Amino acid sequence: MNRQAQLSPNLSKRRGGASLDKRKARAGWWFIMPFLLVFLLVYLPIVIDSIWVSLCELKILQGGGFKTNFVGLQNYRDALFSDANFVKTLTTGLKQLVLDIPAIVIFSLFMAVLLNQKMMGRAVFRAIFFIPVIISTGIVAYVDQSNAMLSHMVDSSSGIDTGTGAESASEAMANAASLDWLFGNMKIGSELTEYVMGIIRDVYSIISRSGVQMLIFLAGLQSISPAIYESCSIDGAAAWETFWKITFPMISPMILVNTVYTVIDSFTSSTNSVMRYIDTIYEKVGGNVTSSAMSWLYFLIVLALIGIVGGIVSSFIFYQRRD
Amino acid sequence: MNNQATNPNAPKITKETKNKIRVEFERTDAWTRFKLKYLTTKFLKQVLWVIFRLVLLVGISFVILSPLLSKIFSSFMGKEDFVDVTVKYIAKYPTLEMYRALITENHYAQAVLNTALLSVFCALVQTFICTLVGYGFAKFKFKFNKLLFFLVIFTMVIPQRTLKLSMFLNFKNFDFFALITAFLKMFGYEGNLTQSIFGINANTLNLLNTFWPVAILSLGGLAFKNGLYIFMMRQYFKGVPDELEESAYLDGSGVFRTFMTIIIPLSVPMMITIFLFAFSWQWTDMFYTELFFTKSSITMMPDIVKVIPKSLIDPYPGQSMREAAIKNTGTLLIIAPLVVIYLFCQRYLIAGIERSGIVG
Repeated sequence: MNRQAQLSPNLSKRRGGASLDKRKARAGWWFIMPFLLVFLLVYLPIVIDSIWVSLCELKILQGGGFKTNFVGLQNYRDALFSDANFVKTLTTGLKQLVLDIPAIVIFSLFMAVLLNQKMMGRAVFRAIFFIPVIISTGIVAYVDQSNAMLSHMVDSSSGIDTGTGAESASEAMANAASLDWLFGNMKIGSELTEYVMGIIRDVYSIISRSGVQMLIFLAGLQSISPAIYESCSIDGAAAWETFWKITFPMISPMILVNTVYTVIDSFTSSTNSVMRYIDTIYEKVGGNVTSSAMSWLYFLIVLALIGIVGGIVSSFIFYQRRD
Repeated sequence: MNNQATNPNAPKITKETKNKIRVEFERTDAWTRFKLKYLTTKFLKQVLWVIFRLVLLVGISFVILSPLLSKIFSSFMGKEDFVDVTVKYIAKYPTLEMYRALITENHYAQAVLNTALLSVFCALVQTFICTLVGYGFAKFKFKFNKLLFFLVIFTMVIPQRTLKLSMFLNFKNFDFFALITAFLKMFGYEGNLTQSIFGINANTLNLLNTFWPVAILSLGGLAFKNGLYIFMMRQYFKGVPDELEESAYLDGSGVFRTFMTIIIPLSVPMMITIFLFAFSWQWTDMFYTELFFTKSSITMMPDIVKVIPKSLIDPYPGQSMREAAIKNTGTLLIIAPLVVIYLFCQRYLIAGIERSGIVG
């Protein structure tokens, strides 16, 4: 008995360790069970059904129901070749978004660096910069959009600023500074000028779409050890050098996260032009299936773009800790 | 060793009382100190930078706040203000009729009540479920962990609109065996397995106009942007040292008990962040509320801005401008409760994200 008792700690430790791992693995399944269960029972059927519907033609029966007929890739062909506007909207929308993404990422990084510095009223500025995340989604974005369309249609002869064109303030600022003229004299190529001007005119939408990214960058900046900055300043590095040699490499994982997040966020938001177009198609008679096909096409493009962008960005990333 | 005594330039230190010493040393005169401190290029650069930074931050804050401000200004305008060319911000005929009409005719109180019920419930459920799932993905090595996490990313990437039609149909005719039915559909089966097996009335399975569809999605962490919350939680828990739980396991605590008593109290700031996100995005959500609440008798937030109150319909030249202002007033009413909550909670919000340490 005594001998066994002496031997057993060694034995049971080994066995106990193995079973703890196994038990932990099983517990892991329990933790993700809610997600898995609802995903399999509710979400996956919806996804399958949506793919199936995009391959079908919908016939509305007189009793109020409807019947699906398998038609193969007909809807996709319709979307790509018969619908004159879809491809055009898609290409212009994609181009706009691809141009917006670097602007959003760079802007949010810049603002995060600014808001990370010690200064008066930092908390107030942080609070203000985060307001668009809370309010420029859902209903508010929808109303802004419909009002902006309206104000394009009727010429607003009265001088009232109803805040409908959200970009009115930035537009006014750009005009006041006569930036066109400024950049025009700098001889840096009209494409670049157009790009910068486009961003400035659209600065409200860029600001309102970079709130979450700014917070993620802020979190990243705060995780960089102050000891590194201290040793840098002892070695006599200037602020500019410190940014490019320390801050930028250390924050590069966040750049990947934010780039991917920006792509997802701006592509799936209801306010982008492709989404709006798909919505108008959905409302049309018999447009349900075409809109399904369109959004699946769109999804594939987004996935491909995330793959490409993620691949490019992740090849430049510096990981401090590899595990 | 005895530096103080040997160095004649060293400051003289005298002990005044028990806890107080007095140091006497020669000071350079004020003008030299001023010159060295302030009349340098470094200081000048610093001042310029501070001014530049302030101007930039104030400018951007202005861009963010100005649409909000002009919405607030125009919400007090009377009917005559919209045809008056001289009015830009301050109303000449101030009135509260827009607020009054929206609150009484569009049933604002009812909408707030309904939406608050839905949002609080959903946000609580989503916060808990996303914490649970995020913890599961972060701390446990089980088969298919990576693959299943890819599914979370998948739910994040897929545009909501893609699933609009199918989601509507699925919840209109809810089926527990939908996975099987989805495949049977491809062979021409049009029925509902739950209905035919258990003989349940079709009306019972119609979940539209109830809280069930959003509740079910929330329970699975599949509602609006929940993929992001799970992702944030997972990144947060990856930064929590394993030793914490291991010591709890050694003391004989089970996995779930450790989660409830150690992990949850630890992640409260992060959970508040997620709760705020979930709450405010559910509050202003249009997609689910419009899709699942088809009956007009249930007033939700979007209904406030969808219809112009009858007493304000009055065709005159300024009407289109006025309708835009009415809708904006509606959005102000919608975001008012949110802004109040945000003002109280924004401290937690930023603290929570700072602690998340979202590292790719």
